[in-house]
Amino acid sequence: MATFFQLFLRSFETGAIYGLATLGIIIVFRTNALVNFAQGVMGMFGAYVITFAYSKGVPIVAAILIGVVAAIALGFVVDFCIIRRTKKVSGAGKEIITLGLMMVILGLVPIIFGVEPLKLGKVIADGSFTVFGANISYNSVLNIFFGIGITVLLFFLIQKSKLGLAIRSTASNEKTAKLMGVPTALVTLFAWAVAVVLGSLSGAMVAPATSVSINLMDSVQVCAFIACVLGGFQTFYGPVIAAYIIAIANNMLSYYVSSVWGTQILYIIIMVFIVFKPVGMFGKRTIKKV
Amino acid sequence: MDKKQNKAAAFFKSKYFGYIIFGALLSLLPLATQAGVLKTSMIGIVGGTIIYSIVAQGLNINLGFAGLTSLGTAGFMGLGAYISAFLTENMGWAWEASLIVSIVICVLLGLVVGLISLRVEGLYLGIITLCIAEIFRKTFEELDPITGGYAGKKASFPTIFFGGWKLNQAQNYVLLAIIMVIMMILTYNLVHGQIGRALHAMRGSTSAAQAMGISLFKYRLMAFALSTGYAALGGVLYVHFFRFAYPSTWTLTLSLNIVAMVVIGGSRTIFGPFLGAVIVYSLQDLVIKRIPVIGDLNGISYIISGVLIILVVMFYPKGVINFFSQIKEKAGKSKAAAPAAVPAAQTESGKEENADE
Repeated sequence: MATFFQLFLRSFETGAIYGLATLGIIIVFRTNALVNFAQGVMGMFGAYVITFAYSKGVPIVAAILIGVVAAIALGFVVDFCIIRRTKKVSGAGKEIITLGLMMVILGLVPIIFGVEPLKLGKVIADGSFTVFGANISYNSVLNIFFGIGITVLLFFLIQKSKLGLAIRSTASNEKTAKLMGVPTALVTLFAWAVAVVLGSLSGAMVAPATSVSINLMDSVQVCAFIACVLGGFQTFYGPVIAAYIIAIANNMLSYYVSSVWGTQILYIIIMVFIVFKPVGMFGKRTIKKV
Repeated sequence: MDKKQNKAAAFFKSKYFGYIIFGALLSLLPLATQAGVLKTSMIGIVGGTIIYSIVAQGLNINLGFAGLTSLGTAGFMGLGAYISAFLTENMGWAWEASLIVSIVICVLLGLVVGLISLRVEGLYLGIITLCIAEIFRKTFEELDPITGGYAGKKASFPTIFFGGWKLNQAQNYVLLAIIMVIMMILTYNLVHGQIGRALHAMRGSTSAAQAMGISLFKYRLMAFALSTGYAALGGVLYVHFFRFAYPSTWTLTLSLNIVAMVVIGGSRTIFGPFLGAVIVYSLQDLVIKRIPVIGDLNGISYIISGVLIILVVMFYPKGVINFFSQIKEKAGKSKAAAPAAVPAAQTESGKEENADE
């Protein structure tokens, strides 16, 4: 039971990482109608900024703040210089543009930060405690609450604030929203900034467990995409819930079934699920006009 | 203008002659390297381009003609590569036999994906295929006895005619060019025949296609089987040309690059995927890294390729292959509003140079 509980808590930490990355993808998808394949490398860029500042002796919390500012700047630049100018490009074309963006960032990072992998410390360096026989570090607890906290804050913002209303109306129909006087340009600007910040934060959570390199977010990004499909692209909350489910199921399957085949089994289960419910757990079927 | 356009189009598409000339020109490369005109490393780069152009051609059938998204190309390419490497290296099979077995296995799996595509559409289908590719990739990492795990799998240059003729790198390169020409001709016939028209109809509207008696079941399965078959062929050629396969090659990034090749080169064309492969895959090695000062900076080639991809998609959404027709279109329009079009035309010609290099 103690092992189970420990796994469960660990999964919530992983879930927080996946959840933030997923939220970044979904917020851009809903407001811009494009799948951002550069989400992972954008997060990697933010994590690099944080780690670079940290390695120069900046305290970790300040480093994260610097990273957030850099992430917002990157989001603004991407929306302002590229996405805003691609209104006429088809959906698939826009996705290829994010692929080009991915290559640009992949090329920029070694030029700015060097090719040596960097190491990022934890926010709470050490210390742990035991609940129900499960040992958990203070840093993991921080990650869990931070992940859930940010998600809840964003949902509150989307559901209750005026900006949230603008986001939801843009997500539902950009043209109509624009006609109704919603500043859609501002909304997409905000969405991109938030997406990069979320990616960077999730990168900063992954980083202490490994070294910060160009491939930092690759596996997180794949999981986030699969979470988007499992949860359905039509809602904001579906993919985030699916991200937590994937994290829990992956850890459980890897431990109890097979450490080698656990992930593959999970993906097959997800595929079978999608075949039977093609719009995801929380998606609604849209009726196509002929 | 119409006449000229027809002429140009007829030349580019002119049956098999154009493809064969193109393949023959590419086959001259080893002679040029032997004469010392070009570096030997060129063979590796152009050979890689040919392999990726074959894979991209397969995806072109799926994405371009049938309108079905797939992000799993890399997984099937890797599967083909590992099966062939295992059969030739460990089991001592002939290259031809391993080629056929790899393609058959991948096509069967492609049929399964085709079945899924009957239920799942658009973006969801793309990510489901990504899911399949990830399952393959994780398996490549773990299945040590067959794939060599993280250390990678070795293979050797193919011995064709059932063990009769062991090729060297230059001969293998010529073999690649020959296979590419064959695939181009096959693709041309395919998309101009009944299947191609059915795929076209399906892309436009599934309901209308069904109303005209086109079986979605049959043609979707066929589209996926064809594209995975091309991917498997590419994988087999890859592993025997580069003689190594690592699990880290067959990632989402590779699948996305192949999608980019199709879109940038020009979907629904025969030469488009090749042009796309040149821009996405070999431009960095062929051109950018050779420019003094800039070329020495680590990562600059990535940046330039990325910027180029963004610019091409922004200004030439139909792909580089439709460059001239699009310029003509714009020029025709700009007679009405001449001053505005001049700077645009200039940037176009600038980019054209880049693309052709």
